[in-house]
Amino acid sequence: MEPSITGPQIVLQRNAKRHSETTLAVCDVAHEKRDALESRMSSPTETRGHESLEDIAMVALEFARLLMEAGASARHVDEITTQVAAGLGSERVDLRIGYASLVITVGVGTNAVTRMRKVAALGVNESLYRRLSEAAARIGQGGFTVSKARTELTQHLEDSRRHPDWVIAVAVGVACAAFGRLMGVDWAGVGPILVAAAFAQMVRRQLALHNINVFISTAVVAFLGSSLCGFAARWVGSHTVPTDMIATVLLLVPGVPSFNAQFDILEGRPSLGSARAVWVMVMLIFMTLGVWFAQGVLGEGR
Amino acid sequence: MDLLPLLHDAICGGLAAAGFGVLFNVSFRGLPWCAASGALALAVRTIALGEGLKLEAASFIAALAVGIVVQLLPSGIGVSANALHVAGCIPMIPGGFATKAILGLFAITTQGSMVPNETLITALENSLRVMFTVGALGTGLAIPVFLLRPRLIKRAQY
Repeated sequence: MEPSITGPQIVLQRNAKRHSETTLAVCDVAHEKRDALESRMSSPTETRGHESLEDIAMVALEFARLLMEAGASARHVDEITTQVAAGLGSERVDLRIGYASLVITVGVGTNAVTRMRKVAALGVNESLYRRLSEAAARIGQGGFTVSKARTELTQHLEDSRRHPDWVIAVAVGVACAAFGRLMGVDWAGVGPILVAAAFAQMVRRQLALHNINVFISTAVVAFLGSSLCGFAARWVGSHTVPTDMIATVLLLVPGVPSFNAQFDILEGRPSLGSARAVWVMVMLIFMTLGVWFAQGVLGEGR
Repeated sequence: MDLLPLLHDAICGGLAAAGFGVLFNVSFRGLPWCAASGALALAVRTIALGEGLKLEAASFIAALAVGIVVQLLPSGIGVSANALHVAGCIPMIPGGFATKAILGLFAITTQGSMVPNETLITALENSLRVMFTVGALGTGLAIPVFLLRPRLIKRAQY
């Protein structure tokens, strides 16, 4: 006599080799009779037409990961990922967005798979975000296969290029100089702020390329930028040196994460929002530490 | 109201927003929109401050104005609404106050019980100003998004 299976059946499969290194584990939950369960165990992912739920989940997770790393808020990540998964044939999508990981469940009928993925350091990349949004909108209209969606994703990643470093450095210098004027620095302080902020941005980029811890990098960049600005501002005869030194490091203020933190909390994701807010606070402390040391070296602001 | 300070703040806000747009990898086609967003934000804030409002209230009104205008813009202008929100309001983030607040807290810890009341009050005032201003900016941006933005995605339910 074969025992009947009435409760949820959980099948754990460690198949990291088959997928990617960041796939931590696979957890399939089936609320089915035994024959359906045996079928699932022999073929670990359910299919609908030609698309495997496994593949749909992994493509949707890849979209979600890239969106998080491009600086999207949780609501946008949720909406766009849902659009992708639904467009590829999933009838239901549930996404859990954490600060460092993502979990998705996609399902068709009574079948569902759950997958998890790590998220790397969060940055801001508007160009990539927009491309991913547009690609998701196309996929969401239907008619895409998983492989075609993957190709689309790869294409967008290849096409999404950063502006040249020197352009970014000059733009940041101009932005900080404008910030300085808004904070009340005199005209003599504008030039030193522009040059020091551009230099600080170039140092920041180099430290990022060498994978230096972001908080250490922030303190170092703040110290170098602030010191350079302080010396130059004194040399040109600025009367607002302490404010000049602060304006130089405003490129380091994490504006996007601070807005995302609020949006996440307002939209019902307090844990993610709190994590972002803590990160913002720690960044500000390290940034101020750099300015504090620079002020100590120059004897300003004490 | 004197037009010169208004023009000065609007131009500086536009430059700051465009500069940060480049840092956020906004396309060159979208940068003028970032600059316009920043200029609008700073112009509204300067007018509100000129009318006697506090920084927090003026920042809230400016963020609300940016949020409403961005929601009404058509898509396909080369930059997402999300980026326009952030780029426009970045010049209003009180980074200077945040730095002064933390420097004030450092001063309190280094001076111990000898710290003058003025230092303590200034540090506290700056800290609260940062908290309330950032909160005002976020809320001002969020309200138009919640009220005006149509729901694009219908979730499939169990």
